[in-house]
Amino acid sequence: MPDAIRAESLTKYYGPVVALESLNLAVARGEVYGFLGPNGSGKTTTIRILLDLVRATSGLAFVDGLDCRAASLQVRERVGYLPAEMPIYRELTGDGYLRFLSALQAGPVDASFLRKLLLRFDVSDVDLRRRLDHLSHGMKRKFGIIQALMGRPPLLILDEPTSGLDPLMIEAFAETVHGLKIEGRTTIFLSSHVLSEVERLCDRVGIVRRGRLVRETSIADLRRETPRRLRVFFDGPAPEPPVSLAAAVRRQSKHWDLEWQGPLGGVLEAIREFPVADVEIEPFKLEDYVLTVYSDRPGSPA
Amino acid sequence: MILTALLGRSLARHRTLLVALTGLLAGFQVVLVLIARNLQRQGLYSQMAALMPPFIQEALGGALVASFGGTVALGFFHPIVMLSLSCAAIYLASEPAGEVEDGLVDLVVARPVPRHLIVARSAIVFAGGTALIVAVMFVANRGAVRWLTPGSGTALPPERLAMVATNLLAVVWCFGAASLAVAARLRRRAATAGTIALAAVFLYLLQFAAAAWNPLRPFARFSPFHYYEAMRTLMGAVAPARDIALLISVAGVLIAVAYASYTHRDL
Repeated sequence: MPDAIRAESLTKYYGPVVALESLNLAVARGEVYGFLGPNGSGKTTTIRILLDLVRATSGLAFVDGLDCRAASLQVRERVGYLPAEMPIYRELTGDGYLRFLSALQAGPVDASFLRKLLLRFDVSDVDLRRRLDHLSHGMKRKFGIIQALMGRPPLLILDEPTSGLDPLMIEAFAETVHGLKIEGRTTIFLSSHVLSEVERLCDRVGIVRRGRLVRETSIADLRRETPRRLRVFFDGPAPEPPVSLAAAVRRQSKHWDLEWQGPLGGVLEAIREFPVADVEIEPFKLEDYVLTVYSDRPGSPA
Repeated sequence: MILTALLGRSLARHRTLLVALTGLLAGFQVVLVLIARNLQRQGLYSQMAALMPPFIQEALGGALVASFGGTVALGFFHPIVMLSLSCAAIYLASEPAGEVEDGLVDLVVARPVPRHLIVARSAIVFAGGTALIVAVMFVANRGAVRWLTPGSGTALPPERLAMVATNLLAVVWCFGAASLAVAARLRRRAATAGTIALAAVFLYLLQFAAAAWNPLRPFARFSPFHYYEAMRTLMGAVAPARDIALLISVAGVLIAVAYASYTHRDL
């Protein structure tokens, strides 16, 4: 079975500006894939090539094995897209907006599913009757998410989906993604700067920088590979660390700072015999990892 | 289904312009008929004709210029009418550039909408919209002549006025098609519509100046207004079928260019 998304040596130049340089990418069906990168790194260009909104200078992109350029219409029948900048027809009501976009879909929109989405994202009948230019940014965003989801496409491409949403709606979005993940029939390609959201929702992440995919990994692998930071406090002055921890510990007057890679059981076992008052474990943060990759420092995992 | 939805949306977005311009230009027809009736009743046409030197009469289209029929038909070749209709077509046809500028194209073309339908939509809207306006102008003109001025003057044969209206429409479509061809490449609606509208004004002035200054005459051929001789058509001196065919052919070529450009462009 072909990948939901595959990019092969995808390259795009805008005049002398290199937007993408030999980008290779594969997203499996049913996967939630986080597509990360600093501003201007080529994320949106990649998405727009997948949707045949822009044409690659060279290389190929496929959705469900279909060439995004040659079989553009069939590809777009399979995709629900939420752009980062939410374009609206100002003069339309929310209801008119959804009805117009439904008319452009390949098949009819399931009314009961649409009602469920409206309910989940707390869009009332009054909101549906209001003109879009009278709505708040967050409310417009909700309509954006709904229009992308309403056709139940097998592939969702969401660019900054929760930008401007309140915490309740962010939760509603996360629940929706989880629901789709459990159903297993939808692949989600998610571009976001909200790394906590990516960490929570995605199975894998790809990090693109200056038009190249510089790292691709699963969140589970990242958790395993990324050193964890611990702070161990003692009743009284901090003792000498045991040999098993010596390399990982920076001893302070009343505590140790520890950087540990791998399961934490070994650390807890090693400190059992010490008069430990408290242990602080810094939770895994995708942000730390991603910032290292973004920052382009020597030694970053490019 | 998709084309219907696109057409409905585009017409809804432009309805204010279409309704307002239709009302203004149809109203102008009625006003002109009333003016012609007044001039006719006061016997001023014969005085006007007597005061006007023959060469001016000839330059303006002959004896018809100072007649009831000429005044009634003025609403189809007055520069403001020609330019406002041309500008309306230019603006309507520039929608593809506006959609790229506003990002709306991302919503529409990210769905299974063939790109050529966007161009077809805009071609139908500018051609159909302006055709509707001209048709209403024609009906208003004939209605006003029939109901407001019974027996006031010699009415022009309706088929000649219809030919003039068709010729006017062909000129307007040329500008609309040029705007569509440019909009299919650009990302800014104001730049597209502004450039072509300025070109329309320039080409009108070129044709106007060429009528009075011989050295400009060879260049006037590049102006669509050169192929619109309303007065002579109304007098029956020329049959504009060839001019109309030429203008429509040019519009067709420009629409084909728009199709090709839009199909290959980055949105």
